[in-house]
Amino acid sequence: MVYNYIFIGLLLLVATAFAAGPLVLVALLAPKRKSKNKSEFYECGVITVGDSWVRFRIQYYLYAILFVLFDIETVFLYPWAVSYGGLGFFALIEMVIFIVMLLIGLAYAWARGALRWQ
Amino acid sequence: MIQALFIALSAFGLFMALGTVFARNLVHAALYLVAFFFVVACQFVLLEAEFMAAIQVLIYIGAVAVLLMFGIMLTRNITGDETTIVTGQWRLLGIGVAGAVMIVLFLGINGFKPWTDLGVRPEFPVTAESTTPRGQAILAMTPTVGREMMTRYVVPFELAGLLLTAALVGAVVLAQYDRTDETSAAAESPQP
Amino acid sequence: MAHFEMLTGTDLTPILAQRMYYEQVDLVLWFRWGLYLFAGFFGVFPLIVAYVVLAERKIAARFQDRIGPNRVGPFGLLQPFADFIKLIIKESIVPKGANSFVHILAPILTLISAFLVLAVIPFGIGLAPVDLPSGLLYMVSVSSIAALSIFLAGWSSRNKYSLLGAMRGVAQLVSYEIPQVMSVLPVILWSGSLSLVSIVQTQQYDQGWFLFSPPGILGFFLLLISSIAEVNRAPFDLPEAESEIIAGFHTEYSGMRFGLFFLGEYLNVFAICCLSTTLFLGGGSLPLQGYFAGESHHMLAAPFDASRQSTIKLNAHHEFPENPSTGFKIHITNSAGDKEAFQVSHRVGNELVLMANRPVEFKADTNSRVSAAARPSYAAPWHLSNLLMIPVFFAKVFFLIFVMFWIRATLPRVRVDRLMSFAWKTMVPLAIANIFVATIWFEIVIRPAGGFTSRVIAWIVTGILTAGVVAIVFRINRNSYKANDPERRPTLISRSGDSLLAATTQGL
Repeated sequence: MVYNYIFIGLLLLVATAFAAGPLVLVALLAPKRKSKNKSEFYECGVITVGDSWVRFRIQYYLYAILFVLFDIETVFLYPWAVSYGGLGFFALIEMVIFIVMLLIGLAYAWARGALRWQ
Repeated sequence: MIQALFIALSAFGLFMALGTVFARNLVHAALYLVAFFFVVACQFVLLEAEFMAAIQVLIYIGAVAVLLMFGIMLTRNITGDETTIVTGQWRLLGIGVAGAVMIVLFLGINGFKPWTDLGVRPEFPVTAESTTPRGQAILAMTPTVGREMMTRYVVPFELAGLLLTAALVGAVVLAQYDRTDETSAAAESPQP
Repeated sequence: MAHFEMLTGTDLTPILAQRMYYEQVDLVLWFRWGLYLFAGFFGVFPLIVAYVVLAERKIAARFQDRIGPNRVGPFGLLQPFADFIKLIIKESIVPKGANSFVHILAPILTLISAFLVLAVIPFGIGLAPVDLPSGLLYMVSVSSIAALSIFLAGWSSRNKYSLLGAMRGVAQLVSYEIPQVMSVLPVILWSGSLSLVSIVQTQQYDQGWFLFSPPGILGFFLLLISSIAEVNRAPFDLPEAESEIIAGFHTEYSGMRFGLFFLGEYLNVFAICCLSTTLFLGGGSLPLQGYFAGESHHMLAAPFDASRQSTIKLNAHHEFPENPSTGFKIHITNSAGDKEAFQVSHRVGNELVLMANRPVEFKADTNSRVSAAARPSYAAPWHLSNLLMIPVFFAKVFFLIFVMFWIRATLPRVRVDRLMSFAWKTMVPLAIANIFVATIWFEIVIRPAGGFTSRVIAWIVTGILTAGVVAIVFRINRNSYKANDPERRPTLISRSGDSLLAATTQGL
């Protein structure tokens, strides 16, 4: 029922207030003494070399793509599972075909070694 | 009340969309986009389509935003001071594409006759009777989606599966994974 | 006697229109919501979490043969407040060149997502803050925001270790989110609903705990393992592996900003233990309660024809469970003996609107019987058996939290490549296979509403299948691992961890 989302909206505000409240208190109570050394990056006392905003490997991106694809698959699976009781055998076959297709993709990625973290 | 909420949300969403386009920093632009996704989720809630709203958050904020962030981390200049500079002809092209999309959307929303005659947007058939299809589709949103997906829209559903598989294979191929550097693979590499 | 009344499509529209408006939310509901917001989310939940932290410190200390915090107050019970005051008066340091707005946004986002997740948990009968028809999907989607906040924390700090920790953390989170969302599919399949209240009611009044079935056991463990990985706790605490990357994504966070991350993490621990309890351990119900729950029967007042009317209206009767939720099953048997299952679609005021699961040819006359899997004694929310649900629920939750402490104190950290391949090569195939085994359980036990014998048959069939699936997946993994790893280190854990587990895996 949609009016329940009024509560979710209120909760969103409350959660923001709950998170922001202590930060306001910190701004009021905590000391603010800036110093050059204090605002250095924390690398166990070693002085930072170069910028930290560097390029990352494509491996991370590959995992993200895998994640998006399987997430979309889940979105198909949830309504299927909800309505399966009223559908029967044909729905099962359809879902088996759908999942086997994705599993073939996963097996391909596995065989190519894309799932290996290196 | 709903109207006011809708207008306020839309105004906020528009502002976020503009922020996405004009932000110099790529991560900031992506953040504006996330805020815009959230506004879209809220609009779905206002339309009583809570299933769509949940999916909007799950797929777009939870997954696509992460994909975007990782994509940004792949680019050379992630602070994005030079990437957003657009030359004249590209700008012209952009305006053209945006205008074309706008015309298509305008026609679609206003029920362009040749398209509505195609019958690509059928009434939502829920059960044997369907006197108020909208009402009943909303009543049981998720089961309805599942049922329709499994009966009327089987072929698009399976095609979507095929598309996902193709995307997966494509991603693996693009990332150029072969097993030549087998020895170095075993070594733990904390380097990014 | 329950009173049925036909509700045609045309009368439906005004109800829908009304439901949109906030006037529908009456004063009682506003009061309840206010209570939840200010007593629950401002008071009880943070307090629970504060003491969960203290309990972890105490229990971890016991595991390591220490005493743990015992200075502030009796048995150190005031320690959380001392910690809070300390965090408040500490300076929040932002490193130079960091993005200050995003730096402050990240912990707030973490906390928001942790709070929003708790909104749909049914802590007892009538004690769910809200009962969303797609509550489980809502929960999954809201908790997926956590990945984004971790990335933002790492990126905005402009520290190499933060960024590395964040990238690792997000990769881990997204990898384990897939088995997490897939491991709950048996539950959705068996209860036919995404509403958490309905899932608990199905277990309490109809099916018994979902844990008591082979696919349920596998699903529960998949959910538990992936949830531990989702909240970055040992042995999956790679994003904050202090021996490798300092403190990971929150290296540059100090004072209260770090405190918010900390609070968010423990709120998430609490939330996932609540979720596991709700989905597999029957919420607040006792272990075998579902098998002995009686049925309540009524006679149908007005006839109806399901082939013409998909929706019927039913006065919520005190003999049905309090506030039957979306998806709760009610059976109607007509005088010819045909039985048809209907699900509760929603509730308007004091009336339940039922819906057929599919287009059915079903006519019910006045001699029809309405039956719901609920005993009259469960009616009133203040009834003893219902009040008992609250402590039972929390006992299960705290037991699961204790199990997580236990795991943390026992297992060493997993190696990063093993972590990722475990998610994709073991958890995901197992979760997918489990869906189909769960379908078989559904076909044997739930669809025919079978009794004891069908349960035994289902246990044997699905038990063999589950064990076979687990054996096959582990075998494939071992073979592919042996074929791929040139060094053949047959240990599942990091090299620094010299433990019994490593010894046993070597022995295999």
